[in-house]
Formats: sequence, C-alpha cells, structure tokens
Amino acid sequence: MSKKKQMKNRSGYMMLAVVAILYAVLYFFNADKILLALKASFHILKMIAPILLIVFFLMALLNTFLDEKNIAKHLGKESGLKGWFIALLGGILSHGPGYIWYPMLQDLRAKGALDGLVVAFIYARSIKLPWLPLMISYFGLAFTLVLSLYIILGAFIQGVLTNRLETR
Amino acid sequence: MLLAVIGLVGLFETYITPEMIHTLFNGKVIHDTLIGTAAGSISVGQPFLSYIIGGELLKDGISSYAVTAFILSFVTLGVIQLPLEFSIFGARFTLIRNLLSLVFAVIISWATAYTLELLNGYFS
Repeated sequence: MSKKKQMKNRSGYMMLAVVAILYAVLYFFNADKILLALKASFHILKMIAPILLIVFFLMALLNTFLDEKNIAKHLGKESGLKGWFIALLGGILSHGPGYIWYPMLQDLRAKGALDGLVVAFIYARSIKLPWLPLMISYFGLAFTLVLSLYIILGAFIQGVLTNRLETR
Repeated sequence: MLLAVIGLVGLFETYITPEMIHTLFNGKVIHDTLIGTAAGSISVGQPFLSYIIGGELLKDGISSYAVTAFILSFVTLGVIQLPLEFSIFGARFTLIRNLLSLVFAVIISWATAYTLELLNGYFS
C-alpha cells in the first residue's frame, strides 16, 4: 500500500473515532436525540447502499475497460466538446449524495481526466432529476427551468476556470 | 471516512432544525442571500428538504434571492463532507471547487431571481 493511501486510511479512522466520541459525549447530554441521530445515519446508509454498489460496479468497469489512453481521449485535454457533454450529462444523471462518487472521480483524475470536467460533473449534480417535479410544484416551472439552465452554465464556467487555474 | 461523514450527517439532521435556519434571516436581500448560502452549505439531507424550507421562507417574505441561494448551496456545498473531499481529492482541488461553488451559489441565485423578475415584467 502506498504511503499516501496509508495516510488517507489513517485520517479516515481518526475521523470515524472523532465522530464516535462525539456520539458518546452527546449521548450523556441527550440520549434520545443521539438515538435519533444514529437512526438517521443508518437510514442514510441503507439509502445509499444500492447507489454505492452501482458506483463500485462502475469503478470496476472503468478499471477493466478504460485505460489512461481512453480517459485522456474522452475526458482529457483532447476531449473537447465531447468531454464537457459527458461531464455535464453524467453529473445530471448521477444519483445519490455527491460524496459516494468521489472515489470514482478521483480514479478518473488519476488516469488523466481534466480537473475542470470533474468540477463540472460535481456541480451539474445539483440538478436532481427525480426531485424536479417537486421543485416545479413548490417554485414553478419558470424558476426550475431558469435555475437548471444557470446551473449547467455555471458548471461549465467553473470547469473552464478550474482548468485555467491548473489545479494539479 | 464515508461512515464518519454519514455519522456526522445523521447528527446534523437531528440537531439543525428548519426552525433554527428560519431564525437566521432578517429580510435584507444581501444579508439574506449570504445567510441562505451559509445555511444551505451546513444543512444536510435530501434535496426536497431544501424545497420545503425554501417554500416556507418564501411564504414568510424572505427574498427569492436568498431562498435560491439556500436551495443551491444545499446541494452544491457541504461543510460536513469537506474532510472526505479533502482526503480524496487533495487540498488544492477541494479548496478551488468549494470556493467556486460558494461564489457561484451567490451569482446563480442572483441571476435566477433577476431573470425571473425580468420575465415576470415582460409577460405581465
């Protein structure tokens, strides 16, 4: 295991320990509320488990069928408009909380995907297709359409800015 | 790390209530837009929660600029996820992405509210 990966694992365990201590301390102040928080956490875990499986499956597929050359072609410097299209559409279509997509996105970065496309993907995820009907019922069609268009535009501009800043 | 973040999300869902978010707004557009962005970035949960809270805020006369900023930062910014993002992507990427998201939450909310005002004026 590389040193960087070991460090990441260690910080993960530390963070988990901090959260566990937080739960334990807060339990003494308000046990009922902490049990509710624990219940909420299990509910989230149950909800994201199927999406996590999809993400792991996609990661396995990517690792099997896409090498650095392919990634560079579709999401790297030579990807052009196609790269933006894949990133924005992929972001809009992806489900679940953003953080479960992070390992896959980092995998793509490591294989040569542009940082700007990753940023655009993450921002485009704020268009939540399954929730759009509810948004329309709360705020109206015009609001939903205008906001969604600006989100796509914003995702693209942020991607371009990120590429300009050369984050790597 | 993922389990830790899920644990934190559970805590926040329980301890930060919609009523608490409600009390932060004071009716001034710039202040409320910034508060909307900040409140959205520390709130967690399913997106529909932001619509429900946003809908209530609109009913109470909070500006659409602030409500849009809240809805947008609710899904684009995540203070709780920062340690995970940092550990996976590294500091520089995380910082740039989140700063851009923060700035764009304000820009897009203003652009959306302003465009809708223009459209309403045009069609009425």
